[in-house]
Amino acid sequence: MTTSAGSRAELIDALTAELIAAFEAWPGKGSSWSEAVLDEWAMRVFRLQIEGIPTYRRYCESRGVGPEDVRSWREVPPVPTAAFRVVDLIVGGPEAARLTFRTSGTTQGRSARGRHLVRAPELYRASLRPTFRAYVLQEDVQAKIVTLPPSFTYDSASSLGWMLDDLRTGLGAGDGLSVATASGIDWQALASEVQRSLDTGRPLCLLGTTVGFAEWVDRMERDGGSAVRLPEGSVAMDTGGAKGRAGLQRADVARGLVGWLGLSPDRVFNEFGMTELLSQRYAAGEPPLPLRGPPWLRTRVLDPATLDELPDGDVGILSHFDLANAASVCAVLTEDRGRIVGDGIEWIGRTAGAPPRGCSLATAELLEARQHA
Amino acid sequence: MLEAWHLPGLTGAPAEWMEGRTRTGKRFRAPVLSAAEAGSVADAVLQATLAARRERTVEQIVNEIARAAARLTEEGLDATTARELLRAELGWSEELSRETLEGMGRAWTVESLTRLVESEFSSFAVLDGFVTDPGWTGPGRRSRRAIGPPVVLQVLAGNVPGVAITATIRALLVRSGVLCKLPESEPGLLPLFARLLAEQDPILGRAVAATWWPGGSFPAIWREWTKWAGAAVVYGGEHTLESVRAALPPDTEIITYGPKTGVAVVLPDSPAGAATELARDICAYDQQGCVSPRLVYVVGESVLAFVLTLAAALEEHTGTNPPPDPSEEEAVAIRAVRTAFEFGGYEHGRTSVEAPGDALTWTILIGDDDSVRTESLPRVVWVRSSPSVTSLEDVLRPLEGRIQTLGYAGTDGLEKLAEVGTRLRVGRVAPFGSMAWPPPDWRHDGRNQLLPLVNWTDFEVPE
Repeated sequence: MTTSAGSRAELIDALTAELIAAFEAWPGKGSSWSEAVLDEWAMRVFRLQIEGIPTYRRYCESRGVGPEDVRSWREVPPVPTAAFRVVDLIVGGPEAARLTFRTSGTTQGRSARGRHLVRAPELYRASLRPTFRAYVLQEDVQAKIVTLPPSFTYDSASSLGWMLDDLRTGLGAGDGLSVATASGIDWQALASEVQRSLDTGRPLCLLGTTVGFAEWVDRMERDGGSAVRLPEGSVAMDTGGAKGRAGLQRADVARGLVGWLGLSPDRVFNEFGMTELLSQRYAAGEPPLPLRGPPWLRTRVLDPATLDELPDGDVGILSHFDLANAASVCAVLTEDRGRIVGDGIEWIGRTAGAPPRGCSLATAELLEARQHA
Repeated sequence: MLEAWHLPGLTGAPAEWMEGRTRTGKRFRAPVLSAAEAGSVADAVLQATLAARRERTVEQIVNEIARAAARLTEEGLDATTARELLRAELGWSEELSRETLEGMGRAWTVESLTRLVESEFSSFAVLDGFVTDPGWTGPGRRSRRAIGPPVVLQVLAGNVPGVAITATIRALLVRSGVLCKLPESEPGLLPLFARLLAEQDPILGRAVAATWWPGGSFPAIWREWTKWAGAAVVYGGEHTLESVRAALPPDTEIITYGPKTGVAVVLPDSPAGAATELARDICAYDQQGCVSPRLVYVVGESVLAFVLTLAAALEEHTGTNPPPDPSEEEAVAIRAVRTAFEFGGYEHGRTSVEAPGDALTWTILIGDDDSVRTESLPRVVWVRSSPSVTSLEDVLRPLEGRIQTLGYAGTDGLEKLAEVGTRLRVGRVAPFGSMAWPPPDWRHDGRNQLLPLVNWTDFEVPE
């Protein structure tokens, strides 16, 4: 039985409200959801998604998967991230979008940036905040949140900007500060916040990209800055990884923050998120500690050739299932390599582009070489 | 551990080794040579080459080469070893390994090598000594002789298995010795052939040296061998060519075989069975060859109808000739391009995909815009429609000089297609089923195979 567009909108909105309540009721890490609970959600959400997103319905139909065929979150057909570069995956169509996030990827140098249309920012928020509280900043710590990357104000296509803005304004005492400017990071403002924290004893919660923190550490080393010890309860969280910067190791950045800010290693967090997902995972300390997330975000590791699920510990391609994506597609097949580690995952990296073999090259490469010449 | 080297003149056991791995993880090694050792090897090659020039005719060389090469293809221990080598290095099936060796081997027979020499020179004799020029109109008489440089440096970076042997044979035929840098992707076959050749004819076996070192590095052997090179033959892309050019004196001849692509054209009266033949061409060398078709144009017929027959043919061919698993990177890239075509089709209807479900054994991308695009992924072809043969000229113009083979099925418009191929500087226009297997005297990259290597000496004597 299919549903009309109007009643489908009501259904997805009602389901969103139920999910928000379920997310907010999560007591935090250490508490998980049973497979049965997740499967029940998966079945309900999948039905709405294939009814509300015609391209996803056809994708599933071509694989012989209809709403009756899914009994578990593991059985929901995952959509490759490449699809986000080609079509809009949102229940109700693009006009239902209240936020449009763009991926930064220009994979293989020619693909358009993908986009993830968000129907319900409240659901994103409902996933984001409890997970951040559970893994990074406990509610009772009245830290001042300082964000380094450009805010959503500067880049309204950035899911990271939106996320950090929401954390900065919605958590802590609500007096968070962005040290980003239109042209980059205001290093002086950042230094002032560190000094203020030292002077007042109020902890800092520093949120930034791996690359941004790397630059900060470089500047401190270059300028001969003094190492400090931030007040108890302070944390730092980096995200995004090296973004292809030669020689940049996330572990070095984390060690730099530990050394320069006096943070203990388990207070330097790494966040794993993707524009295509609205939930996040976090880890602290030295890799390969597991990146853990909320119970509504699950990950399978698949054989790249067959898409069969691999045993825990084997390296393969990561395929996520995120209920916060209820109004787009929950099951997303990435181009990332990783493995299951304990109750979390280890993200190993983005799969490199396929190197040319033999003496046959893609025409794109031939043409590129010609333009070069 | 595979021994990826054949180094005549190297005395004593090597003290240090370099190790590499093929994409399947097969480990191989080659000795680290000092400049002095590399020089000794080059000198051994030179001395053997000079000895062969004194003691062998080209006809004898052809016979010895063919005898050694036959051991790679005719049933026996050596052929089994060769197939096992390709299976281990490339993850190929027994069937694909056998097909490749037998296919390449057809160009290594006495008959084929004779045909090659005679197609480019009047006879063997002109490579053995001076031959009177009957066309000479000047006073007295003139005779001519052709000979390659004493040492040819071969750099193999991008090529299909067996090409290292073919390149080596070309050099030996013009009486040159060979110093060869082996490709990481398949470093084993040429050393095996060189050992068989050495067993067959010790002089010729010592005229070939081959080894491996990591691409992008410039060890002592590279610096030494480049000093000995009278000419260089490079299989690879721009980066490889640049590094060779930088290492050699500016007046050293460099013959390059760069990456190319294959285009297949289904003419309106294409016969039944065309798709089967095309599927064979696509799957040959696991579609790694410059001769491998990647882009298919269906002229004036239903693209969908041809795609369905091609899909059935690919399914059948890969069923009997199981392809190797794609690498992780290839798997991800194939899924990404499939996704773009599949979801794009759902969205705007102009693209679609035919594939065996989520399995990656073959992929047909059906697209309908005007851009020319192919992928260098294994067993991936793009099928498009074309209103006419002549309209292909404009469509394919961006690939001018980059198409190795223009394949066809049918006769309607064939002459026009050949004309289009000429203007696009295509090396070869050939029917489906033979795209991947050029004849021994083909014009590789549109050029002669042997003539670019030789120098001619004209000997004029007034009466």
